[in-house]
Amino acid sequence: MNRFLDWLDDRSGIRGIVKEALYEKVPGGARWRYVWGSCLTFAFFTQVVTGTLLWMSYSPSAQTAWESVYFIQYEVWGGWFLRGVHHYMAQAMIVLLVLHLMQVMIDGAYKAPRELNFWFGIALLGVTLALSLTGYLLPWDQKGFWATAVATNLIAEVPLIGPILQKIVVGGVEYGHQTITRFFALHAGILPAALVGLVVGHIYLFRKHGIHVKEPRPKKDSYFWPDQILKDGVACLAVMLAVIILTLYFKGAPLGPPADPSNEFPARPEWYFLFLFQLLKYVPAFWGAVIIPLVLGLLIFIQPFLGASRKGHQFNIGFWWCLLAGAAGLTFLAFSEDRSNSNHGAAVKEAEWQANRVVQIAQEEGIPPAGAVTLLRKDHENRGRRIFAAHCASCHRYNGHDGRGYSVEEDPSAPELAGFASQEWLTKLLNYEHYTSLEYFGGTAFKDGTMAKKVLQKFDKEEQELLPQVAILLSDLAELPYQESLTEEKRESLMDIFYDDLACIDCHDIDSEGEGSAPDLTGYGSKKWMTDFIINPEHERFYGKKNDRMPAFGRDNKLTSEEIEIVVDWIRLRPAEK
Amino acid sequence: MTQKANTKKECPETAKKCCSEDSRRKFIVVSTVTVSAACGLFPLASGITTVFDPVKKSSGKQEKVPWTKVAPLRNLSEDGKPAKFEVILEQVKDAWTTYKNVPVGAVYLARDGDEVTAFNLKCPHLGCAVDYRSKSNDYFCPCHNSTFGLDGSVTDLESPSPRGLDTMDTKVEEGVVWIRFQQFRPNISDKVPLS
Repeated sequence: MNRFLDWLDDRSGIRGIVKEALYEKVPGGARWRYVWGSCLTFAFFTQVVTGTLLWMSYSPSAQTAWESVYFIQYEVWGGWFLRGVHHYMAQAMIVLLVLHLMQVMIDGAYKAPRELNFWFGIALLGVTLALSLTGYLLPWDQKGFWATAVATNLIAEVPLIGPILQKIVVGGVEYGHQTITRFFALHAGILPAALVGLVVGHIYLFRKHGIHVKEPRPKKDSYFWPDQILKDGVACLAVMLAVIILTLYFKGAPLGPPADPSNEFPARPEWYFLFLFQLLKYVPAFWGAVIIPLVLGLLIFIQPFLGASRKGHQFNIGFWWCLLAGAAGLTFLAFSEDRSNSNHGAAVKEAEWQANRVVQIAQEEGIPPAGAVTLLRKDHENRGRRIFAAHCASCHRYNGHDGRGYSVEEDPSAPELAGFASQEWLTKLLNYEHYTSLEYFGGTAFKDGTMAKKVLQKFDKEEQELLPQVAILLSDLAELPYQESLTEEKRESLMDIFYDDLACIDCHDIDSEGEGSAPDLTGYGSKKWMTDFIINPEHERFYGKKNDRMPAFGRDNKLTSEEIEIVVDWIRLRPAEK
Repeated sequence: MTQKANTKKECPETAKKCCSEDSRRKFIVVSTVTVSAACGLFPLASGITTVFDPVKKSSGKQEKVPWTKVAPLRNLSEDGKPAKFEVILEQVKDAWTTYKNVPVGAVYLARDGDEVTAFNLKCPHLGCAVDYRSKSNDYFCPCHNSTFGLDGSVTDLESPSPRGLDTMDTKVEEGVVWIRFQQFRPNISDKVPLS
């Protein structure tokens, strides 16, 4: 071994290089406050290695980016863990950058003769943030897609060249293949190369000027190896553990539903950009994207000179604390505004639902070449919710919301439809109090109609006790997928109640030729009954002229017959939530 | 870490050994090397399994090869002259994409009465596409000049191919030729299906 090392050293001078690297003098001895640079190097190294591994399975295009990330997350052996480490290490890097920067500021390590290195550090901060921003888009999920669209729109604010610059970055006017390929080249090629170059310069300059010692010196001088390296290593280990814990706790990095420009999503950047996001609520985009960064950038640039005087140094430290506090405050505001906004919560839940749904379909059916977004667009369950929200929820509710989970401000003006025609739903319908409440017909003309005033309200106690039996009978006609059907005997005995005991047949028909004055209940709640009803509730079989504002969706082509079928299937699919 | 070093300092005392600077240094060096190694290996360790994913997924899995429709029997010449046909599978999964009705390869089919022989288009040497030469009535690989007879066997001893053309199971039902389409490991003398 020694002979080989001698041979190698003879030809490369490797011993000298290693010695120089390890035996850097640490005046005042090894200290914990010096570990941040090494931690950042470790974090970046992790990103390079995990990023390259991800690269082996990632495919940058509008039809394969989400799909390949799905593949990594759900099908590749250990892929979820790899993604998790890359994702959370990126966030750890931001935290470490702030810690490193604050240590440099507080210790005064940015002052002469280290101005140049300070600027290198600030440039590194910028490159790292750019890496985060570009990486956010690569999974091509709703979150990345909508949030990055905001970021690239800000580019257009740059005077003169903004719009051209934006087109170059986006690869055109609209987001597509070219956006991903360009972002990927930036994220995995240009930016890491820039970062490596800057790090080399940063470390060279650091070595040239040596460690800036914070006085008083706690101990006698020592060397980088092994004392400081041990401290650095332990700190890196802590970072590593934190990342592992986050990865295990959140089961890897999140993956939203596939990007879809026709499917709205509340764009939010990653948490460390939230302060900028919040700022744009208060200042014009031009200020947020150009003026403020420019002024701050200039101020930061001259900080090493300001720091020459005692007061200047104090100003610099104060400046950074203010900047951090401002960012923290804005971040807090962004979070709390979102938390108190129930629609945002619903939108997040909706996106989660879509993400889970698309994964479920992808696992069952596979992803077609046109991409996973087509799975959601074709999915009847997803479309059912959306059709209901768009066409039904202005009057009806579904479990109290609009079908997708969004609350609706106005009171409902038509019955709640979750669990429509189920035994529970009908039992409540046949109770006068419920019938005339907003949950059923309270918002319609029917609350003062014959059924309410002359039938339900007039039943005596004995008759009222029979009503749940009628509910069971009618519900059986619906043939709901989640309810068992009645035996023939049971049905006949219930029919007796319908015909004789309560004489419902006087107005409502079941399997009879006559035209009752109230809706025909033959096949009530079944797929056919509901479809016919939605096509035209004004038909004589249903409300006829008594119809109160329910549109004839099929007659005026408000909905296609396919859409009606989808929404009917969707309403009938499952019982109401308790 | 200062704390840790201190406890180590006390350690030799309890063991009634001399608390030398050497043992402290040795402890620090060992710890440093261990910690550095852990940090250095972590990134690769966190994702190396993904690299071996294809090996893990295919090993030991011998899935039953499905029957696939290739062509009507009447499209095959009755004199036994081979013809090339595309093999289209109903469903093929390529990593994250599932294709429907997609060509996955080609075969030569040759008819002998109601029996049909199917040869995989790929040369068993290194996988080039083999041509049928009507002039010499044999199969010829244009890459490394392997030649095969109509029965698929290697005809020229100079041929680099270690085995004859790969046959696959065939059957004829209601005038349609079906095959079990498979690929085989190249450049070995035995015919071993790829999995």
